Amino acid sequence: MLVLTRKIGEAVTIGDQIRIRVVEVKGNQVRLGIEAPQDMRIYREEIYLQVQEENRHAADWNLTDLENAVSLLGSGDKE
Amino acid sequence: MKVTTTRFGELDIEEGKVIHMPEGMLGFVEKGFILLTPENLGPFCWLQAVDNPDLAFVVADAKNCAPGYTFALTAEESRALELSERSEAIFLLVVTMAPEPRDITVNLRGPIVLNPERLIARQIVIEGEKYTTRHPFFETSEKKQSGRQRPERQPEKNVPPAG
Repeated sequence: MLVLTRKIGEAVTIGDQIRIRVVEVKGNQVRLGIEAPQDMRIYREEIYLQVQEENRHAADWNLTDLENAVSLLGSGDKE
Repeated sequence: MKVTTTRFGELDIEEGKVIHMPEGMLGFVEKGFILLTPENLGPFCWLQAVDNPDLAFVVADAKNCAPGYTFALTAEESRALELSERSEAIFLLVVTMAPEPRDITVNLRGPIVLNPERLIARQIVIEGEKYTTRHPFFETSEKKQSGRQRPERQPEKNVPPAG
């Protein structure tokens, strides 16, 4: 991993379209300003990991649970 | 082609129905899936990996379980999914099943976008606090149902008009 030291206001560029600037440092928090093409999805790592984790939960299911859910929906539909 | 599945036995699937997910589902390596939509499952469909009998996700069309759910695709995503201006993508939400149906949730943060014509799909991560990975499934469905079951005649309306 490339590790660079930056001061407040300084930036790193990745390729020619992405620039990440240190905006503020407060205690153990760093605020970053990110300039990137609008078209690019940027997310905090934990959001990505959350989806990955939720996928793992979602993949672990059994037919009985699904049948129960379907029957609950069915009973709710009765007029 | 024959697809072996742990939950549903062996299925005979047309090769042309395989959905390609070049990036797979986050955290999984499988790239080929089939989407099965049995009528008796109501809003639930299942997304079965064609080369891993164990791997299947329960999914639901966002249209049916999260009204108003929307987000914009980036140009890169539209290109990768080969979506044209005319074609309409389908947003599938991954369902996390639970023994108690009211604990069932849908993942609004990691929808699967499917191009139903080209059968290409990608799971997308949505940043921000607007959507959660564990949105209660029955919350929205029940609102619809209680709305439908509310008695039509309201007592106030039976009061004869004064005068």
